[in-house]
Amino acid sequence: MKTGLLVLVFTIAAAFPAAAQQINLDFPGLADKADEVVDVTLDATMLRMAAKFLSNDDADQRNVRDMIHNLEGVYVRSYDFGSDGDYDPRASADRVRSQLGANWKPLVNVRSRTKENVSIFADMRGDKVNGLVIISAEPHEFTVVNIVGPVDIDRLASLEGEFGIPRFSAREKSHD
Amino acid sequence: MNLERDLTRALRRTPPPPGFAGRVMQRIEREGVQARRVRPVWWRAAAASLTLAALLGGYTAHHVIEQRRGEHARDQVLLAMRIAGAKMRYARQQVHGIGSER
Repeated sequence: MKTGLLVLVFTIAAAFPAAAQQINLDFPGLADKADEVVDVTLDATMLRMAAKFLSNDDADQRNVRDMIHNLEGVYVRSYDFGSDGDYDPRASADRVRSQLGANWKPLVNVRSRTKENVSIFADMRGDKVNGLVIISAEPHEFTVVNIVGPVDIDRLASLEGEFGIPRFSAREKSHD
Repeated sequence: MNLERDLTRALRRTPPPPGFAGRVMQRIEREGVQARRVRPVWWRAAAASLTLAALLGGYTAHHVIEQRRGEHARDQVLLAMRIAGAKMRYARQQVHGIGSER
């Protein structure tokens, strides 16, 4: 009985940090206004499964496999709008920012009147990055990436390849 | 007259030897059991073949579904990592651009 209780407590304690890094990526009404929507939802099980299908021969795919090895989840929402002003970039970005607790530190904040505004936040545990949120708000495109688990930021930025899939743009590719 | 006597003797009803009916019934029963024994062998073979085919079919279908799920998950991971990498690089370039202007 006592052992069972301890196991339960440790399980909840272990699950809590991961839950804390995962943010709510629901943006009511945004998908209806968007011309194209990219929706990627991968929990730990799906990431383990995906890792088995990544090629050993491709350097970028090997890199990705190493990167996702310890991740708990990867979530992406990207909305492409037909014209400027179809959504409120600031309100959408604030909706994500408001969920980030004290552990989340801003790494980069790029602001532009004409191009994309990018904010990158990291969930810092000591020197380790234990989660990442990227918010990109352009006049006609809004993208949020949430990576849950230990992230190698330099490695992520170094991913240059096409991975055998078409160049990313929400205009070009839409997922279910 | 001799002919008639001979015919009467030849066609005379004679009782079967003792136990004849029992032996006949035993033989009928024995042959029936043997016939019944042969049939289940075919039924078992057919059932085994069907079961094996069902198992193989199930395994193949499961394998194909898993393969598709895995490939879909892989494509999703690559797409997500490409988006994340592109945004990271953009931010980095902007920061380096500002740094080099100064």
